[in-house]
Amino acid sequence: MNNILSSNTQAILLLTAPLIVSKGQEPADVLTMGQYKQLAGFLRRQDRQAGDLLTLQAQELLDECEHLIAPERLRRLLDRGFLLSQAVERWTARSIWVVSSSDDEYPRRLKQQLKDDAPPILYGCGDAGILDTGGLAVVGSRHVDDALLAYTEHIGWLAGAAGCTLVSGGARGVDQAAMRGAIEAGGKVVGVLADSMERAVLNREHRALLMRRQLVVVSPYDPAAGFNVGHAMQRNKLIYALADAGLVVSSDFEKGGTWAGAVEQLDKLHLVPVYVRATGDVGDGIESLRRKGALPWPNPETPEALAEALVPEARPENPGSRKPVKMLWDLADQ
Amino acid sequence: MTFNGIRALELLKLGTRLANACFRKGQEEAIRHVVEGAGRLLLVQKTGWGKSFVYFIAAKLLRERAMGPALLISPLLALMRNQIAAAERMGVRAETINSDNRERWSDVASAIERDTVDILLISPERLANEQFRSEVLAGIARRLALLVIDEAHCISDWGHDFRPHYRLLERIVRTLPVNVRLLATTATANDRVMDDLQKVLGPELHVSRGDLNRPSLVLQTMRLPSQAQRLAWIAAQVPALAGHGIIYTLTVRDAVQVADWLKSRGLNVEPYTGETGDSRPMLEQALLDNRVKALVATTALGMGFDKPDLAFVIHYQAPGSVVAYYQQVGRAGRALDAAYGILLSGEEDIDITDYFIDTAFPTESEVSDVLDALETVPEGLSIPELMARINLSRGRIQKTIDLLSLESPSPIARQESKWQLTASDLSPAFWERARRLTDLRRFEQRQMQDYVNLRCGHMEFLVRALDGDPGPIRPPALPPLPTTADPVLVREAVAFLRRTSLPIQPRRQWPAGGIPEYNLTGRIPPEFQSQPGRALCVWGDAGWGGLVRDGKYRDRCFSDELVRACAELVAEWSPRPAPEWVTCVPSLRHTELVPDFSRRLAAAIGLPFHAALRRTEARPQQKNMANSIQQASNVVGSLAISAQRPPVGPVLLVDDMVDSKWTLTVAAWCLRSHGVEEVFPLALALTGKRE
Repeated sequence: MNNILSSNTQAILLLTAPLIVSKGQEPADVLTMGQYKQLAGFLRRQDRQAGDLLTLQAQELLDECEHLIAPERLRRLLDRGFLLSQAVERWTARSIWVVSSSDDEYPRRLKQQLKDDAPPILYGCGDAGILDTGGLAVVGSRHVDDALLAYTEHIGWLAGAAGCTLVSGGARGVDQAAMRGAIEAGGKVVGVLADSMERAVLNREHRALLMRRQLVVVSPYDPAAGFNVGHAMQRNKLIYALADAGLVVSSDFEKGGTWAGAVEQLDKLHLVPVYVRATGDVGDGIESLRRKGALPWPNPETPEALAEALVPEARPENPGSRKPVKMLWDLADQ
Repeated sequence: MTFNGIRALELLKLGTRLANACFRKGQEEAIRHVVEGAGRLLLVQKTGWGKSFVYFIAAKLLRERAMGPALLISPLLALMRNQIAAAERMGVRAETINSDNRERWSDVASAIERDTVDILLISPERLANEQFRSEVLAGIARRLALLVIDEAHCISDWGHDFRPHYRLLERIVRTLPVNVRLLATTATANDRVMDDLQKVLGPELHVSRGDLNRPSLVLQTMRLPSQAQRLAWIAAQVPALAGHGIIYTLTVRDAVQVADWLKSRGLNVEPYTGETGDSRPMLEQALLDNRVKALVATTALGMGFDKPDLAFVIHYQAPGSVVAYYQQVGRAGRALDAAYGILLSGEEDIDITDYFIDTAFPTESEVSDVLDALETVPEGLSIPELMARINLSRGRIQKTIDLLSLESPSPIARQESKWQLTASDLSPAFWERARRLTDLRRFEQRQMQDYVNLRCGHMEFLVRALDGDPGPIRPPALPPLPTTADPVLVREAVAFLRRTSLPIQPRRQWPAGGIPEYNLTGRIPPEFQSQPGRALCVWGDAGWGGLVRDGKYRDRCFSDELVRACAELVAEWSPRPAPEWVTCVPSLRHTELVPDFSRRLAAAIGLPFHAALRRTEARPQQKNMANSIQQASNVVGSLAISAQRPPVGPVLLVDDMVDSKWTLTVAAWCLRSHGVEEVFPLALALTGKRE
């Protein structure tokens, strides 16, 4: 991985990414997701691409974009070329790769599922090939009891043993329990991070897994970005989009990222079937998700049974249409 | 962006202070190319051609069009003072951040913040410094209009001048969007280097290449094996040469020694090295103004020093490559009809260049020591923590860390102050490159020896080695110089080499992290420190070095000649308050060698000898301890005051060899904490491996 970026990727990074190379760096006025989408659409209609904004003739093109975004603002963003090279160096030094939606290496699944709403930039570390293998997404709260952790870990183990990739958020509690189980079974794991990728990839346990190609971590947020509630909630979209099915092990009622992410799937996005835990004391959150159309988790007891449960033909269709709806996610509030 | 030729010429006139100045062939085109943003440009022009006018004028023109500032990366900034002065005359606000102007850093950083810097000049090492990047560079990085890479041949592995941090620069260039203007400059690029530069800088690279021949240079080579012969030769020839020049040596020590010798012969010369410090600009100016006959310099006096009427460049030792040699000798005769470029080659040249070649890369065991240590500590280790864990010198640890961290992908990364392992293994390409570069350095060393052996055709040889076109060869405009040294002068030079003594600066701090077992940390209280001391010679040098080695390893007894030499040294030195007695550093390994010598020396200078110190336990030899923490820990607790209380008067503390100075530091600390008034260390030889 050498992070030789195409001019399109360079331009998209310049327009949308904060390019954090130091603490206390003055934030740039990067384009919001909506603004970027409009700009990308405009360029496409002109038969141009983002990389054209970097050429000698860019001035005219920038002026043509005036009805969308002030050329002066675009120029300020595009003038950050040297900063970009500094940021790329920082990522590369930590074995972090970066792809844009204009790259062939960008996970196909995200583009198919999210279309224009796929995050324009994705940072990652580890084997990107895992990202196109689908699998089971497991989500839940940070604070759960030991019995539930053991239950979750077992599901992770079943997925791993079934050769089914486990997709999760890498947070404490349910996320990490599911990942632990899958790793234990020798399975592959995708961690969709909302913050601090830079630190996560240097973590010693992660390092061994990344190097064994068992783990890939990805994030649409700058590797140096710290915790942010909005990001933590919004990355749930990516977790579902990268999987064939989602399982909510636990959820608060009408609050928290797990709840919001699941409701968004059930009410709006309908990317994948959403299961909820159907054994034990499930609580108000899970009950309400059931009422919103979540499917009861069939509780497969063997790896084979779990694999079967995830086969598309075998599972019931989620109600509702699969038309993508406008994304909430905004890169500008990083 | 359109180019304003009239304004460019106006700036040139201001910069050169010549009302009728006009651009050299290629200069204006290059400025136009950069200003118009017509793509990346590589300028290959010999030193003194005026590359700096290209980037200063281009930077100024861009600024006059409200563009962002420029950044220039160059390995030898301290030498750019002349260019900066020219820049200032053109109204270019040039600032530099380097290790010599630490006190100005915050001013420069705030000037960048206020956008009142037009061009910032930094070294590639500075660029790799995380603190600099976050605190200073961030201010310029978000709107940099022009990146200038000086000495761009360093980007190529095939460049003669390997600088690890150019690997970082290479990657930065590879990821730099095309809307940042890029100008690369070099004086020397053979075909292989050009191919590499094309690859890194891009297929659209535009190249402007000038002529390499310097017809005014009269080149000559000769072998004079001993240092004394070369000292004698220089002392005889330099006074007779017309004009002013530079004498190059390979090491700082040689520069100082040659300068001392020539001064003792009444020549007006000064040493100029990386350790010269603040007086460097003053010395450069003295040579520019012809107030010194010559500077005796290391390569610290290099790029950017421009004296058009420099009349000679003499090498006291042969450099490691003909390209390096060409660059150095090429400083002579730029605006003269004739100038001398004389290369003296001595018996130690190969040893010195071998040392540079052999230490350029960490060994496999150094790399595995560092990686293994990091493997055991998931949270990572700082450099001092690594020093406490592995027996490698700070320099070797730093070099290993530097080179590993410049790999891509890198096996290590720094998070805050600690180095941690990343999710990438060290690529085998690392070792392949190290081998390839070592082979290349060996080839260059042989090529240099071929040059030394030449009888004629020197310039042609140099230009061909650089893949240039030698063109028509002119007969030399000056007669050849004699190739032998006067025997009388050689004898005097031998005596001089034996007269030199070297200072031993006392240590003032316990090593980083301290020595916890003995509760010793931070500053050593002044009342427990030693005074500055003296050493008779450097281990193995051309003066006393051979006799010291024979005494230690062959005869197991230091000769009377060395006793007399040390007695003379003490008389000349005359430390105050005068020592009242003599003692020595004891050894369990050679119990009599140093005490015997010290007793004879005490007798020779008429002072009593007391064996005030004893060894409490056998420890591994100090010379096998590679860094401060290991050395200090090894010696603390192994020395103690012997049962008999020492006298309290000032003492001369004798040892045979000084390496890290920790033994002397701890011995002085023991003596002084038992009430000894002052401790003056005296050693026979300094060994090279010092931190």
